[in-house]
Amino acid sequence: MMEQEKIEKPEIVFLDPKKIKIFRGTFETIHVMLEDGSLYRGVFAVAAFPVTQPNKYISLFAYDEKDREFEIGMIEDIEQLPEESKKLIIEALKRQYFSFEILAINSIKFAYGLLFFDVETDKGPKQFSMRWETRYAYDFGGKGKILIDIFEDRYVIRDISKLSRMEQELFTRFIYW
Amino acid sequence: MRQGPRVLKFFLPGLILMYKMEVTAEMENSSQKIPEGVWAKLREKGLSESDIKLSTVADLDFTGNPAEIWVIASDKRLLIIPQKGMHEEFDLQLEKIKKLRIRASIGSAYLQAKIDEFFIDIVRFTNGLRYKFSRFIVQLELLKQGKPVSDEYINEPHPMTCPVCGLPLQTERAVCPRCARQGPILFRVIVLLEPYLHWVIIVLILMFISVGLNLVPPKLTQILVDEVLTTRRHVDWLIWIVVALVSAELTRALINMVVGTLTTSVGTLITFDLRKRLFRKLQELSVDYYDQQSVGTLMTRFSSDVEAFHGFVTQAGQGFLLNLFLIAGIGLMLFFINARLAFYVLIPVPLVMFGTYFFWNRIYPMNFKLWDSQAKISRFLNIVLSGIRVVKAFAQEEKEIRRFESMAANLRDSNRRVGINVAKFNPMMTFLFSTGGLIVWYAGGKAVLENQGFTLGQLMAFLSYTSMFYAPLSQMALMSNWVSSFVTASHRIFEIFDTEPQLKDSPNAIRMPHIKGHIKFEHVTFGYDPYQPIIKDVSFEIEPGQLVGIVGKSGSGKTTLVNLICRFYDVQEGAIYIDGKDIRDISSYDLRRQIGLVLQEPFLFRASIAENILYGRPDATFKEILNASKAANCHDFIMKLPMGYDLYLREHGAGISGGEKQRIGIARALLCDPPILILDEATSSVDTESEKKIQDALAILCKNRTTIVVAHRLSTLKDADKILVVDNGRIVESGNHHQLMEKKGIYYRLVMMQLKLTSIETEVT
Repeated sequence: MMEQEKIEKPEIVFLDPKKIKIFRGTFETIHVMLEDGSLYRGVFAVAAFPVTQPNKYISLFAYDEKDREFEIGMIEDIEQLPEESKKLIIEALKRQYFSFEILAINSIKFAYGLLFFDVETDKGPKQFSMRWETRYAYDFGGKGKILIDIFEDRYVIRDISKLSRMEQELFTRFIYW
Repeated sequence: MRQGPRVLKFFLPGLILMYKMEVTAEMENSSQKIPEGVWAKLREKGLSESDIKLSTVADLDFTGNPAEIWVIASDKRLLIIPQKGMHEEFDLQLEKIKKLRIRASIGSAYLQAKIDEFFIDIVRFTNGLRYKFSRFIVQLELLKQGKPVSDEYINEPHPMTCPVCGLPLQTERAVCPRCARQGPILFRVIVLLEPYLHWVIIVLILMFISVGLNLVPPKLTQILVDEVLTTRRHVDWLIWIVVALVSAELTRALINMVVGTLTTSVGTLITFDLRKRLFRKLQELSVDYYDQQSVGTLMTRFSSDVEAFHGFVTQAGQGFLLNLFLIAGIGLMLFFINARLAFYVLIPVPLVMFGTYFFWNRIYPMNFKLWDSQAKISRFLNIVLSGIRVVKAFAQEEKEIRRFESMAANLRDSNRRVGINVAKFNPMMTFLFSTGGLIVWYAGGKAVLENQGFTLGQLMAFLSYTSMFYAPLSQMALMSNWVSSFVTASHRIFEIFDTEPQLKDSPNAIRMPHIKGHIKFEHVTFGYDPYQPIIKDVSFEIEPGQLVGIVGKSGSGKTTLVNLICRFYDVQEGAIYIDGKDIRDISSYDLRRQIGLVLQEPFLFRASIAENILYGRPDATFKEILNASKAANCHDFIMKLPMGYDLYLREHGAGISGGEKQRIGIARALLCDPPILILDEATSSVDTESEKKIQDALAILCKNRTTIVVAHRLSTLKDADKILVVDNGRIVESGNHHQLMEKKGIYYRLVMMQLKLTSIETEVT
């Protein structure tokens, strides 16, 4: 019989905001030093609940020597971080997430099995095309939708009810689920 | 980016249905010129035009704002120069870059370079540019090796766009519906009718006669009124006119019966033919096609979409063409009787055409939505009813009921929306037509009263023809609803026919009827998403007759290796060789016929046990079935079943245990006697007793053939000639059980972990 070893229950490592150092390294990278002195370079941040809790439960990741991602730990609330560190984490989050926010819909046309959108976004006017299937348009929070175009770029409508009546009618004529 | 308005015309004789679609075609820039501002900076850094070997441009800065960041490579340097947007300038020595890769973030991606043992972000770009940057990396690696490079390779059009017209496509390298269309959809439908052309010609001739007969009664009515009833010049003609009327009606009725019978027969023949062709096409398509399509959606294409073709033939024969001939014939008669009045009759026609066009545009997306709602319900039922045990086990019946109700409500709303629009359109059109009739009454009546050479009989005949003219025109106008449904359905059917299998045999595919079983992976890299490799630079070799185990954590890439050996997908880099031949050059029929695959959940068909075992080799004898079953350790339990081998299994083999199903799957593989056998987690979902029986069966099964066993339970692999340990898409350890145990690496740790779990299980039991 093998010697019995205690099997530990895996738990999330929460990082103490007062005891970690977050600083900028060369080439605009972000480095993190933990309380025990271990240094992680080229760190990136991922939100566990990017829609409902965008500034809480932020996980910090780095790469091991075999270039595999691993989780350093999680910051419960970035508000608890010192101002400079907080700025860096917000920047890291901006680097992790990208989408075009749709502000207005000019037209939606269906042709060749695809939906062709002409929209105004927070980054200027855009035209994109997406497959007309439910998996390419899913809920964003309780009121919005995320549209995924054929190149997998993301277009977010935060609140459909904020669109004009005509835009809503046009949008829900195609994206009705 | 290019925008192009596109007008598609669906032309039908006598009726033009037209709709306009603005199509935004996304064109990748075939090449971009380095702007002067960037050249100036390059010159500052001592680089001239001849030094620049590669260049491309990223479209985001690090904070996600639109930007124009140039990525330029010379023989020795990689430079990042922003033209627009906030971005740091980089000037990196190529020799210091150990590796380049693309890191996908959520919604965008980065070009990363490994410098000083960690990766740094070089530039950020939208996902649309990932393809371009992945090719940039390939070229940069070549540049580092001193090999020739080309900007054209980097700037090749994205596989999601048509290389000819730039139209976005539904799947990578799919046939462009704009370029490949053999004319409008309706024309393609007519091409489909070709084998039945002789029947179509007979129907057309009969309809021609029928239309002629339709024109007779009003003309006879005119003679009856003018020559018999009002002037009484030919009273004796009465009986003959009535006899002629009865004969015309009777002949017309008989012809309509024959036309109806013929169109129904041709319609059913076409749908039968279409279903066969569709199923054949689906069998030809590669596995990746099924990764992108749900079973429910494909089922709807087989049921309602194919049935729409039946409707087309019936409608075209009995409705559309008949109405078209009637309109032409009656129109001629109207102009023949009184050209001025005939023009009045035509007054509502433009309004009808406009109404039809408007209705078409409105109803088209609604019909698609209706179809989509139907497909969703089929898909949902398919999933939930197949997994009913899981639903019940987790007591989620109420949740599933709510989900179904929501989908049913969606279907109800879609149906209602289409119905309401049709209901609004019909009376509107009827009203328009009646106004035309009233004009004729007024102008024609006035002509009769004022003796303008227009007789009462002619007016009566004219009114009869007018009512006959409006009826088919009205139906033709309403046909936009039917045409819309039909075009939607046929579009989806042609979409399947137009899809080219991603993995096609080359015209000179090598026939290999007798594979020995030598397998070699040479620097193989593959990912279902080409930017995210699952298998990374994997090389190994398996000799014929060897038993090889593949172990590793879930998601490490074990099953992907199996998929590549079966050539369900093609590698992106490197090559796989079977008996020294590149797998891509081998006839896929020969390859797959000689690979036996036993999956974790063997798929049993709704057929008898014997038929399930025979699936891969239908010509096997009863003796061979029995021997294969005995060897697979399933004979004894089958014999205890009331119907033995003739027991008809229900959906997915419901009614027999997982271990029993697995052994039937092994018997099926054993019967084929393949030189290469792959067992993908074949014992992972069965109990210990079943596992023992399966292992006993496998010991026999593995003899004299190359056997690859993907296993979680490492006890299965103790006798393997070689064990490959896969971690994060790479082979990290290789050797037999003893060698790997001595190495005390990942395999050792996995074995120790399983031993611990087994001892815990033993203690519990």
